[in-house]
Amino acid sequence: MEAPLKYIFDSIQYLKPEVAVSIFLAILVTVDLVLGKKNKQVLPYIALAGLVITGYFVTQQFGTSAFASVQHNIGNFGLIAVDSFGNYFKLIIILSSIFIVLFSISSIEIKQVFDRHGEYYSLIFGMMLGMMLMVSSADLILIYLSIELVSLSSYVLAGFTKQSLRNSEASLKYIIYGGTASGIMLFGISILYGIMGTTNLYAINTILQNGAFQPLALIISCILIFTGFGFKISAAPFHFWTPDVYEGAPIAITAYLSIASKAAGFALLIRFIKVTFIQTIGEDGYWQLLGVIDWKSFLIMISILTMTLGNFSALWQDNLKRMLAYSSIAHAGYMLLGLAVFSDQGVMAILIYFLIYLFMNLGAFFVVMLIANKIGSEEIDEYDGIAYKTPLLAVSLAVFLISLTGLPPTAGFIAKLYLFIALVDAKMIAVAIIALLNTVVSLYYYIRVLKHMFLTKPKVEGERITIGIADTVVLLAMLIPIFLFGLYFTPIVNFAKNSIALLGF
Amino acid sequence: MLTEFGKIFVFILIAILFVVVALIAAKIIRPARPTHEKLLTYECGENPEGSPWVKFNIRFYVVALIFLIFDVEVVLLIPWALVYQDYGFTGFAVGAIFLLLLGLGMAYEWRKGDLEWDRPHPIPPVLKKSETDSNLKIPKEEIEVV
Repeated sequence: MEAPLKYIFDSIQYLKPEVAVSIFLAILVTVDLVLGKKNKQVLPYIALAGLVITGYFVTQQFGTSAFASVQHNIGNFGLIAVDSFGNYFKLIIILSSIFIVLFSISSIEIKQVFDRHGEYYSLIFGMMLGMMLMVSSADLILIYLSIELVSLSSYVLAGFTKQSLRNSEASLKYIIYGGTASGIMLFGISILYGIMGTTNLYAINTILQNGAFQPLALIISCILIFTGFGFKISAAPFHFWTPDVYEGAPIAITAYLSIASKAAGFALLIRFIKVTFIQTIGEDGYWQLLGVIDWKSFLIMISILTMTLGNFSALWQDNLKRMLAYSSIAHAGYMLLGLAVFSDQGVMAILIYFLIYLFMNLGAFFVVMLIANKIGSEEIDEYDGIAYKTPLLAVSLAVFLISLTGLPPTAGFIAKLYLFIALVDAKMIAVAIIALLNTVVSLYYYIRVLKHMFLTKPKVEGERITIGIADTVVLLAMLIPIFLFGLYFTPIVNFAKNSIALLGF
Repeated sequence: MLTEFGKIFVFILIAILFVVVALIAAKIIRPARPTHEKLLTYECGENPEGSPWVKFNIRFYVVALIFLIFDVEVVLLIPWALVYQDYGFTGFAVGAIFLLLLGLGMAYEWRKGDLEWDRPHPIPPVLKKSETDSNLKIPKEEIEVV
């Protein structure tokens, strides 16, 4: 009689970060209720404290690899796999959440809705809980549940300032696309469950190893499930929501969607493919996948489509937020190539890429937000000659954009370098060349912003844009790593190398 | 040979055919003599009033959601209440956490004013004394559709 409860209590030691996030969510709601309409300034600091404590628990967990909430009837596999790979992504999610809370403190858009700050920070925590479950879930039911938790929170956050028309538009478009994608994914999950008779990825792998399955239904179900993942990482045929939502949502939330939600989607995709379809891992770190689905060609196709489409669409954009949205689609394409290599080296490249992408993309969005706070627009024409009004912001944006392109000596170069090394090492030269050509295309639209900022004369003389000390510190916190990791990248490479291990493989 | 999914496919096929055949057969057999009254929207025998696209107050949805949450809560709590004693204090604690979170949700609704119902304020008819009895007019009561 005691048994099921005992399993739950045994797992709590592996679920400390998730428990901490849940407790702080409740604390945020309670504090918001107690404070009433005044004194909302304290909420972001409670959120920051919660994030730091959660981060501490995650770092404590590094090195453990175990199942939480184990189901003994299906061969001791569990719902949640706690391993270094998941913890690495949890750390990325927490780091980006810290930055987002700092962004929100100085964002005009968020300040305008001061009466709903309690909901804002608790929704961020809800989304974070969903993402932390997403990166470590090893069961189709939990995968679906956590994706829904992330999606529902982000639908509300995307339309958080109700007064703004484009916010509401973004939210509505997001919820329609998201609802369709998760419906299709649920259909795929139901078919997969129908074939396999279990929802656990490890158990499905055992069945696949024994070779008793129907290939056609399996392929269909996996492609349907990929729709849900593709929606989250905005891969090519499922990317249509990205520009509209990124343009409409408050900038802090746009930045959050482009990093955290995408990181969680990637972690989930890697875990799903590796755990479900792996046969053996070779001595050299290359994965031998079961020959059920040709994931390699499928992923290469998707990623080339994604980056080409993202880069070429970004060429025409006149709104900086929209351009960054397309650029984030293109970056998703590059990172998918790292998975398509199907080796530990490729996964390591993705991990390095994400950590660096976090700093450069958040930084770019932060500068756009600070400028939009003052001039109230993200149109590229409004950036004419802005370097003379605010040299610091213009130079930082230039650095972030150059890093996004992947030029040395910035960290973006290191990210791309490891990706291309992995590609060349796997003898995927043609794909590497396509990715390289794409990078050249991306150079044009990133540099175009620099031209507007530094070389074009402003149409109207505006006043100087100054930023506060707190904002400068946050900006430097993203600017310094760009140069630091660009020149001295051994620590992150070692960190990523130690974090590639998934539970069981 | 039919697989498990094949059986489901046959089932779906029969279900679709059942509907299609029934509709077509009815179309062929039944007499079709439409009159104006027959084609009207059915409102319990009354003549329909206005458009059916009435806007409902959003508060109905809030109340419906709150009802749904507490309805589901009962479904979860009854099995818990039957067995929690077997699990000792931990069993009690699990239920208590669940109830605390629900209580937090309730407190949130209360504090944010979602339980306040904005009632309509009908203006009562006023009799003006100066006017004679013959042309006494009672102003039409204003009915606010909530």
